[in-house]
Amino acid sequence: MSFWFTVIRQVGRNLRQTWSSQLMTLLTVTLSVLIFSFFYLVYTNMLKWGDRLGDDLSLIVYLEEEPGPELREQLIKKITTFDEVEKISFITRAQAYQRFAEQLGQNQDVLNDLPKDFLPPSIEVIPLKNLRSLNQVKLFSAYLEKLPGTVKVQYGHEWIEKFYYFTKLLSIVMLLSGTLLILTTIFMVAYTIRLTILGRKDELELLKLVGATNNYIRVPFLLEGLLQGILGSTFGIISLYILFNWIKLRFSDPGYLTMFEFSFFPPTVSITIVGISILLCTFGSFSTMQKFLRV
Amino acid sequence: MIEMIKASKVYSEDVEALKDISVSIASGEMFFIIGMSGAGKTTLLKLISSMEAPTSGLIEIAGQPVHLLKGYKLARLRQKIGVAYQDFKLLTDRTAAENIAISMEVSYKKPQIIRKRVKDLLAALDLTDKHNKITGELSRGEQQRVTLARAIANSPAMILVDEPTGNLDAETTEKVIKLLTKCNKSGATVVIATHDDLIYRHTPHRIMELQKGSILSVIRGNGL
Repeated sequence: MSFWFTVIRQVGRNLRQTWSSQLMTLLTVTLSVLIFSFFYLVYTNMLKWGDRLGDDLSLIVYLEEEPGPELREQLIKKITTFDEVEKISFITRAQAYQRFAEQLGQNQDVLNDLPKDFLPPSIEVIPLKNLRSLNQVKLFSAYLEKLPGTVKVQYGHEWIEKFYYFTKLLSIVMLLSGTLLILTTIFMVAYTIRLTILGRKDELELLKLVGATNNYIRVPFLLEGLLQGILGSTFGIISLYILFNWIKLRFSDPGYLTMFEFSFFPPTVSITIVGISILLCTFGSFSTMQKFLRV
Repeated sequence: MIEMIKASKVYSEDVEALKDISVSIASGEMFFIIGMSGAGKTTLLKLISSMEAPTSGLIEIAGQPVHLLKGYKLARLRQKIGVAYQDFKLLTDRTAAENIAISMEVSYKKPQIIRKRVKDLLAALDLTDKHNKITGELSRGEQQRVTLARAIANSPAMILVDEPTGNLDAETTEKVIKLLTKCNKSGATVVIATHDDLIYRHTPHRIMELQKGSILSVIRGNGL
């Protein structure tokens, strides 16, 4: 009789004997993976959306005077000292007037009576398109406001700020659900394996006495944890995919999700989540064996 | 095969189960341990089978100190020792056949070999009709025979039997002794702990008598 044949038979026997607790564990692992991956999916989509928002986001620093070449260098230095930025452009009074006139289009006649230098010179700062930089927009604005010669700093809309608070909240929820995933998978699997070990105490004692090796006794329990991880995480990801498609189908009217363009994880992310869950479950089973199955 | 030098086992200050036991049992020998209840027979078997470690002294099997063996080496040694425990240690929710097969499964014997061996042993012990019977539903005598069958199933080099005939009638006792003798003749060292003088009365083999944990005598049976 080969080692693996015996081991698989033992696993089958364990599963039959403790099927109700095994089912509960499977359900818990599936739910934990589903909850975590759901928040992670929302979070990653929000990040993508944030990147698109970033395209329109720029800070405009209005200055008292048009800066000379040396002052420009100093201002660039000051700005980049605070944070890396994508682009810094200096807008002269004339350029500002020109832009304004273009924006007015056919109505630019209204400017005829005004002097061509009535608009203040400014610096246009485009932050890097990543969440860290975008989250710092407020701090960045406060910093720019303190630069000598600054009159006012204008940036984006208030709701952009709110959006980033929302992503921050999402990242906290994601961290919490990640912790939940880790705790439930490890503890539930460990608890179920412990139940199996206790339920088969007599048999395990006998196996030791008739000369069963450590691997013969332990590998089935390790496989049980592995199986819980594979099935639980796969079911979790599949459930999320079904839920994702259902939501997409239900809310596909213009104005809802079409605005966000939600997309599912790439296969690598799904595989990583499954892999990590398998590792956690196997670790749960291993830790119980170390504690309760000293051969 | 078995070397015991000044082996002692103390469970607590008041309970000294074995005191300075020194005995050598040769490979292929049949050896009887006799004595009253509480003389230390079962403890001695537990020390030999490495179920328990001696408090002091040395116990060697085939030159290996058993109480120092661990992991794979200990498992391999236990595969070569068949033990029929007084408390049977049967899995009462499994069939007689499954219980007997366990000792062969751990050494990865082929399923067809296991099936044949289980059948032969059940036939030799008059248990053919109990093949698929749950051991929890068997009588004490039948359970005892299943335990014995499990002990010898893997053709071990050493068989330790604790009170093998305690629950058996005379006819079945004879069958059990016949089976153990057969194992001994095919080369296994057989150690039998008993207080049933019917078993050892006419034996030509050595008999060690224990009393309160000490050796009272080691004599050779008259073989009549």
